[in-house]
Amino acid sequence: MFFQLIRLQLLKSFRSTSRAKSILTNIFLGFIILLLLSYVVIAGIFLQEIIKTLSGEVDPLGILNGYLVFFFLTEFTYRYFLQSLPVVDLESLLHLPIGKRRIIHVLLLRSFISPINLIALLLFTPFAFQVIRAEFGAIAMWSWVGAIILSSWILHWFMLWFKQRFEDSTIGLLVVIAVLVLGAGSNYLGWFNLGEIMKPVFDYAIQSPVPLLGLIGLFGFSYWLCFHYHVQNAYLEDLAGEQEEVRSSGQSIGFFARFGLAGEMANLEWKLIIRHKKSRTYLMLSAFFLLYGLIFYTNPAYTSEEGISTIFIFVGVFITGIFMIQYGQLFLSWNSSSFDFFLNRKDGVEALIRGKYLLFISISVVCFLASVPYVYFGIDILLIHMATFLFNVGVLIHFIIYLAIWKPKPMDLNKGAMFNYEGVGAAQWLMVIPMMVLPYVIYLPFSLLISDYAGLIALSVVGLIGILAYKPLSKINVERVYKNQYEISSSFRQEL
Amino acid sequence: MIKVTNLKKQYKEAVVLDVENLEIPKSECFGLVGNNGAGKTTLFRIMLDLVRATSGQVEIGGTDVSQSEEWKKSTGAYLDEHMLLSYLTPDEYFETLRKIYGLSEADLQAHLDRFTELFNDEIVGKKKYIRDLSKGNLKKVGIAAALMGNPEVVFLDEPFENLDPSSQVRLKKLILREKEASQITFLISSHDLNHVTEICDRIVLLEKGKIIRDLREKAEMMRELEEYFVG
Repeated sequence: MFFQLIRLQLLKSFRSTSRAKSILTNIFLGFIILLLLSYVVIAGIFLQEIIKTLSGEVDPLGILNGYLVFFFLTEFTYRYFLQSLPVVDLESLLHLPIGKRRIIHVLLLRSFISPINLIALLLFTPFAFQVIRAEFGAIAMWSWVGAIILSSWILHWFMLWFKQRFEDSTIGLLVVIAVLVLGAGSNYLGWFNLGEIMKPVFDYAIQSPVPLLGLIGLFGFSYWLCFHYHVQNAYLEDLAGEQEEVRSSGQSIGFFARFGLAGEMANLEWKLIIRHKKSRTYLMLSAFFLLYGLIFYTNPAYTSEEGISTIFIFVGVFITGIFMIQYGQLFLSWNSSSFDFFLNRKDGVEALIRGKYLLFISISVVCFLASVPYVYFGIDILLIHMATFLFNVGVLIHFIIYLAIWKPKPMDLNKGAMFNYEGVGAAQWLMVIPMMVLPYVIYLPFSLLISDYAGLIALSVVGLIGILAYKPLSKINVERVYKNQYEISSSFRQEL
Repeated sequence: MIKVTNLKKQYKEAVVLDVENLEIPKSECFGLVGNNGAGKTTLFRIMLDLVRATSGQVEIGGTDVSQSEEWKKSTGAYLDEHMLLSYLTPDEYFETLRKIYGLSEADLQAHLDRFTELFNDEIVGKKKYIRDLSKGNLKKVGIAAALMGNPEVVFLDEPFENLDPSSQVRLKKLILREKEASQITFLISSHDLNHVTEICDRIVLLEKGKIIRDLREKAEMMRELEEYFVG
């Protein structure tokens, strides 16, 4: 039975990939994971040298032990964002005559198989080989490495429990913020040095097996805590989360009403965005990306003496167009669960697409207006934003939509957005090219031959031409959807 | 009103639908029955231009459905949840349709009033998204939506499925009333032989994509269908 369940899990992950994700996405993700893990190994091998260079001291082990606690705080943070809960699979198993405890054991075990759990092992084992083994012997080395790995794995179980217990609650968020402040702030502000307080634990692990044994106990306890909580709450209503309360009215944006049917669709889309988890995250991200400029505009490496740094064009495209880039790349997938609704109305699909155009342009305007304060870093920044905004709205929007409607895939809007690649296919990866290259194709020739400002003018002019040609350009995309409507709607009707 | 000629749907080798000729006159209540996989939903989807036919054509009101969209104005349909906007409340959904069909608020109210009995106070005015409704209530919303905007043709796929017995009776009455009052042509697929023989003037039996019976005699329908299904 146990193996049967594991087999089911394997089948599920194999078969879901062929449907929801494309092979290309999988290969790409696998490649990225391998790449990142190999970076970790390389960092592990050179850890000794790195610490010596950074601190200038001769005792890398002492320094490392003092900072280990910060590694775990970082780990806590990324686990909070990346680690997903295994309980989504529970629904289809719960009614079967299999013990709940057994199901939970399998699900927890599966969650444990993750590259995240390798990071501590890969990062610290080479260091332990080089430094501790030479000085204190093999037993001390394994004791130390074991202590670190167990701490990391305890965090794994603890985080599963923590997220399931406090997900979407204020307490959970407060704890995470507290951990971050504690980690970064305490040292920086000089209240107390967390690293120094925790240092003896790891120092002691080299000399004696006591910390290791203690951590083994804690590891068992954290698994038990996680397991116990999941068994107690293995009910559908606990897992699915409470039904969302309908928020008060007034969510429609009156301004859109002026645009007839397309405006109505823009309003619908807006409701779709704020009522689904995935789209809400995208919206929040675009608000967050408004701050993106602070990284670049304040960085002296990018501010050149004369003219405009080339990379700023990219930053400008991103700041004023992030929503259309992020949300627009999954253009029709957002409506995959109700696409037949639009097909079944006269001019429904055209209105839907025009509505989306309207929404993208409106949000771009809002982003541009919100980015005006960047003028603090110089009038050039404002000019860049103006030019890239015009270019986004006039040209880039059509390219993004054109690529996005190439074989759109269905997706479930109620899942989170972090590391959720549902609906992402080859087109979404290819989309990076016009996004990155297109603005420079127009900007660079003028900028290099005449001046940076000529480049900006060229961008603006091309954008303005695009805006004037909005009707025919958007018509191309509308026609394309109509041409492929049968393929699109039948792929959307598939189960996820 | 509706004319199907030489319609064929093929997935690679497998022919799932093969209808040589089918005409449905105005204000007929047309019932479609058949076992699972007989092609009922596929036929409806092709008639609504949601799925492309391999060959042949469907005309509604004299126009080929795959060539124009004009017929959509006078055609209502509810096949499955994909036709709803699950993230709206029923009220918001009806309001959206009102704007799409260009109805006044009084029109909408008058329309919804006809469904008071069927809705049984569980749809209108409830603060609940459509995705959180029960299957029966979902169906009621879909049916009410399909009948909006004074359609001439209405497609319903399994309308009685998931409804409680009293709602089934109410829905039957409602369909008969609408048919009398507005001369609507109904196309209804169903597994419930009692209901479908009761309300439909004509029943077509599909088997493996082919029409194998076309029954018009009320008295004969039930006997013939039972003979086929029960054996």
